[in-house]
Amino acid sequence: MGSLTVVAVENVPPRLRGRLALWLVEVRAGVYVGTYSVRVREMIWDQVLAGMEDGNAVMIWQARNDAGYDFVTAGTNRRIPKEMDGVTFVSFLPEVEADDAQS
Amino acid sequence: MLPPLRPLPIKERLSMAFLEKGELDVIDGAFVLVDVNGVRTQIPVGGVACLMLEPGTRVSHAAVVLAARVRCLLVWVGEAGVRLYSAGRPGGARSDRLLYQAQLALDEEARQRVVEKMYEVRFDGEVPAGYSVNQLRGMEGARVRRTYENLARRHGVRWKGRQYDAKAWGSGDVPNRCLSAATACLYGICEAAVLAAGYSPAIGFIHTGKPLSFVYDIADLFKFETVVPAAFKIAGRHPLDPERAVRLACRDAFRSTRLLDRIIPTIDEVLDAGGLEMPAPPEGSLAPAIPEEDKWGP
Repeated sequence: MGSLTVVAVENVPPRLRGRLALWLVEVRAGVYVGTYSVRVREMIWDQVLAGMEDGNAVMIWQARNDAGYDFVTAGTNRRIPKEMDGVTFVSFLPEVEADDAQS
Repeated sequence: MLPPLRPLPIKERLSMAFLEKGELDVIDGAFVLVDVNGVRTQIPVGGVACLMLEPGTRVSHAAVVLAARVRCLLVWVGEAGVRLYSAGRPGGARSDRLLYQAQLALDEEARQRVVEKMYEVRFDGEVPAGYSVNQLRGMEGARVRRTYENLARRHGVRWKGRQYDAKAWGSGDVPNRCLSAATACLYGICEAAVLAAGYSPAIGFIHTGKPLSFVYDIADLFKFETVVPAAFKIAGRHPLDPERAVRLACRDAFRSTRLLDRIIPTIDEVLDAGGLEMPAPPEGSLAPAIPEEDKWGP
């Protein structure tokens, strides 16, 4: 039984983008969609982790929780997951802090 | 131009979200929690049935306006998420529903039938014929005590009865505090559902005389299949942060029982047992000159 899975990547090497396109449909630049089992989803995420270099990525899939979905992120992004008593929203870090973090 | 906002049905929404420490504001049309460091967290307010605002939150005028437009109930809560005050949608937003509810509550026979139906739902359909409301209440009370004792035994919780002092929070024992935190979650969602359906939270049938009498009536229909087992399960585990653990357990219970799909149909079912017709608009009454733009989605 597969569940809807979306992967979005930014600033990753073309070879990873090509690799993702082996299993997923690139509906917009860096946005991939498909329907896969847990096992395949984890394999795809391993590919992302191995190939993203300095880029960043997020993978979202349908899950049987209150929100109906779950997601993981990797790499540096101003948007970071924020869990609040069982539901995960996303925090957007201010620009200055992001610059401080990089320097 | 963006098309106008339409509120989503309750059953399509996330049950609840707890927000702490930060300012709630509107940025680019989104509902945002901004913390002291300027970190912004967007809250999909139109997809949440009720937002529980914990101590340490401040709410802007624009944020309240937006929450009201998407019909998200804002509930201000104190320690352990216990309700203090709520706002966001007016009660009795549909006059036909409000009149219907009031008519059922005023008609002694209809009220009795609604009360019986409520006990029937709570007893899973086994209500002895010819029992008075007081007898039913006595039966229910005994059953509730038994349920508490059974759950306490199953989860290895020391249970000395339901005791709490709303004014002295720390005085209660852990199982009672877990129960208070859990029922507060249920009351928030039930209040959101009662308001979304256009009824008054105050006009109750079993409970009367309180601003949320009807909310307690409706919450009691689901309490013993959702939040009470969740509270005892958590109390038996002696978690470091019982409040958080109770919220996670309640969220799971709400999802697994499909609570948000069921509340409004159940409200309609128990009121329907009263056997009265929804009142028609009186003859010669004027329809609104300017129709409401956005329909009240249940």
